[in-house]
Amino acid sequence: MAQAGPSAPPFRGLKVIELSQDPGGEMAGRYLADLGAEVIKVEPPEGAGSRRVGPFAYGRTDAEHSLNFWFYNANKKSVTADLATPAGMAQVRSLLSDAAVLVVSYQPKHLGPLGLDYDELQRAFPKLIILSVTPYGLTGPWADYLSTDLIAFAGGGQLHISGYDDHSIPPMRPGGNQAYHTAATFALAGAEVALLQRQADGLGQLVDVSMHDCLAVTVEMAFAYWEYQQAPVRRQTCRHAQPMITHCALFECADGRYIYSVVRLADQKPFKALISWMAEEGMAAGLDDEKYLNPQYRQEHFYEIQTVLECFYLTKTADEVFKGGQDRLIPIGALYGPEDLPADEHLAARGFWKTAEGEEGPITYPGAPYVFSAFAMAKRVRAPRLGEHNP
Amino acid sequence: MDKPQTTAAADSRRPRPRGGPLAGVRIADFTWVAAGPLGTRFLADMGAEVIKIEDASPGHVRIDHIRRVPITRGGKPMPGGHEVAGFDIDASGFYNNYNRSKLAVTIDMTKPEGRELCERLITQCNVVVENFAPGVMERWGLTPERLNELSPEIIFARMSGFGHEGGPYEMYRSYGPVVQAIAGLSQISGLPGGMPSGWGMSYMDNQAGYQATNGILAAIYHRNATGKGGVVDLSSVEAGVSLLGPKILDVTVNDAVHRGDRLPCGNDLPDQAVAPHGVYPANREDEWIAIAVMDDQQWENLKAAMGEPAWAAGPSLATGEGRHAARREIDRHLGEWTKGHDKHELGHRLQAAGVPAMAVQSEADKEVDPQLEHRGLYFKLDHPACGPSRFEGVPVKFSRTGRPIWRSAPLVGEDNDYVFKGIVGLSDEEYDTLRQSGVI
Repeated sequence: MAQAGPSAPPFRGLKVIELSQDPGGEMAGRYLADLGAEVIKVEPPEGAGSRRVGPFAYGRTDAEHSLNFWFYNANKKSVTADLATPAGMAQVRSLLSDAAVLVVSYQPKHLGPLGLDYDELQRAFPKLIILSVTPYGLTGPWADYLSTDLIAFAGGGQLHISGYDDHSIPPMRPGGNQAYHTAATFALAGAEVALLQRQADGLGQLVDVSMHDCLAVTVEMAFAYWEYQQAPVRRQTCRHAQPMITHCALFECADGRYIYSVVRLADQKPFKALISWMAEEGMAAGLDDEKYLNPQYRQEHFYEIQTVLECFYLTKTADEVFKGGQDRLIPIGALYGPEDLPADEHLAARGFWKTAEGEEGPITYPGAPYVFSAFAMAKRVRAPRLGEHNP
Repeated sequence: MDKPQTTAAADSRRPRPRGGPLAGVRIADFTWVAAGPLGTRFLADMGAEVIKIEDASPGHVRIDHIRRVPITRGGKPMPGGHEVAGFDIDASGFYNNYNRSKLAVTIDMTKPEGRELCERLITQCNVVVENFAPGVMERWGLTPERLNELSPEIIFARMSGFGHEGGPYEMYRSYGPVVQAIAGLSQISGLPGGMPSGWGMSYMDNQAGYQATNGILAAIYHRNATGKGGVVDLSSVEAGVSLLGPKILDVTVNDAVHRGDRLPCGNDLPDQAVAPHGVYPANREDEWIAIAVMDDQQWENLKAAMGEPAWAAGPSLATGEGRHAARREIDRHLGEWTKGHDKHELGHRLQAAGVPAMAVQSEADKEVDPQLEHRGLYFKLDHPACGPSRFEGVPVKFSRTGRPIWRSAPLVGEDNDYVFKGIVGLSDEEYDTLRQSGVI
């Protein structure tokens, strides 16, 4: 683990006001909080909608037990204000007077009725960065289209490339709110660039993040195949969508779990390592014949190889294949479920997990994507009760 | 390098002082393949001077692998992992898209003169980024301590599958799909009780790259304020686990299990009693539309858009719980209806009626997507080997920050002259000697 230096996290001392109730804006706010900012979430008197989304803790489904809310709103403060009233809006404006960032997720059609005018806000608060995180951005013919994680993935191109070899099965949404998370990741980048400018000249600006745009640039090879070769890619089970059908990459193991393993033709070393592993155990079944070292031959006889591999992997658990393979420098992964991770020895050794003190016991959170030697991330604090920080 | 160019074209490719919010940030970029170059793409787009350091050894054996991904203009589509003998390593469109706005030099790091030149270059940089297999930078002597001697308070961003500095998997090998497997992201995607469908791409190469960008920006902000640089250690697996969202708290708080007969749950929402919520066939082969009815009003809107069919009229379907209980039957009826429609036309019609819906878009659809066009997301630049090409643009609009994107991806060693003479300060004679001896 990198030693935490003496410094406070970089955004300590910056105040962030958050008017968001979906995972895009909320995760962007949490990223800023994790980097040290004081994030004040302004919720309607009945609580943010995100408090009513499951899963829920301990089987309790009230507004204080949403794990959805706990995840996205850790390390924030909560105040309540009714934005539909002049007093509520005055309260928000008062909070903005010394804020560095406003994280806000309203689509354009909701701004007018609320009396939110970003041009006016920029004039009134020239030091303020307005970080707008919305499904389609603030402008354009779809700016007010409704969205969800699934809808966003449909438009962005991820659904088209994710699913099963069998195309009678519809495309499958990759799990875990990743459309929103992709928007939040870019929102942090946008906020950080604007904060760097503000650090230099003291001025804020409007940063307009579109989830649709963020996803549109996050499709990897699908874009290049289309742009350069007008080659549409086809979705394939748990592996890259490509213009042609490729060999399967998931293999079932003795414990019924799966591993991901691709024998790349261009890479001789992992193939040799795999075959010598199988030979050690008397299971190479002829694959140690020299002719298989020829990539061309391998390509033409892949189904023979696949059959032998299927048998070999079925004699071991997914974890044995993962670790046995990796110890031989073969890039294999076991398909862990989230439930397998808290006990994982590597994450534990890295000190990855962070515990917040909850009102009913400790709450274990995953750590940040990055570790800095120069400063520690903000200490993990549980998500706030509704209005917990009302004056 | 030796492609014929007009003078005007050559001029347009010449390095220039960069504007933008990251002007003054100079990055020695050792990254390759996908995650690393995506980590420096946004930084280059924002005005950082990103100098890609690539292999100058004979045949450029260890050059950025994606220069050899055979996705070339007009070429025959081949699988991304294939290598083609005699391939023009300036011509990969995949590389072009990931490396625009960057400079590129070549150095043979197996030669002592190469490592010395590299150190001289680092003295002129204030950020170093790498995503090699563990141990490569150390083999060249480029430890955090050495980098800090070369350029005091330099920021050293290290991207890897499992993170540096500890843990039993530190030396493990990975790439996007392996990371997605270990981080739990594959297992949580797909139909219950069978093979997970996971991702059709290396999502975690993208996310690891984006998160590295964010870590570097935070480190720059911190250095501006305190004068302190340091190491940014980005583990793709940890980034992946941090992205599991509420599901991971469901595990740590409730001991939830994400495999078996119920989870993963296909296109259903796992934690909300809503329906219909899925992907439905449209009127052409393998064309689909996503529909997500999140509340009772949207259900009423959908019924009206469908013309109030009898199957949808039952009072048991008036609530989310009722619809959720009947969701497979609803899916069947709804699919019968959607398959008579064009996916785009139906998507717009449902949106107009107040129903969250969207065509499942391919890259062909996205090229003419009116929203993306309005936003100006894609942009076009010429490239000597790829020709005029569209690029994936910056998905964030700044009201007062320009987008100083200036050039398509560099050719192999295209900026040797500018970087080694102009930035490192080699004399013409030194430069020529290094060139003749194959160091650059």
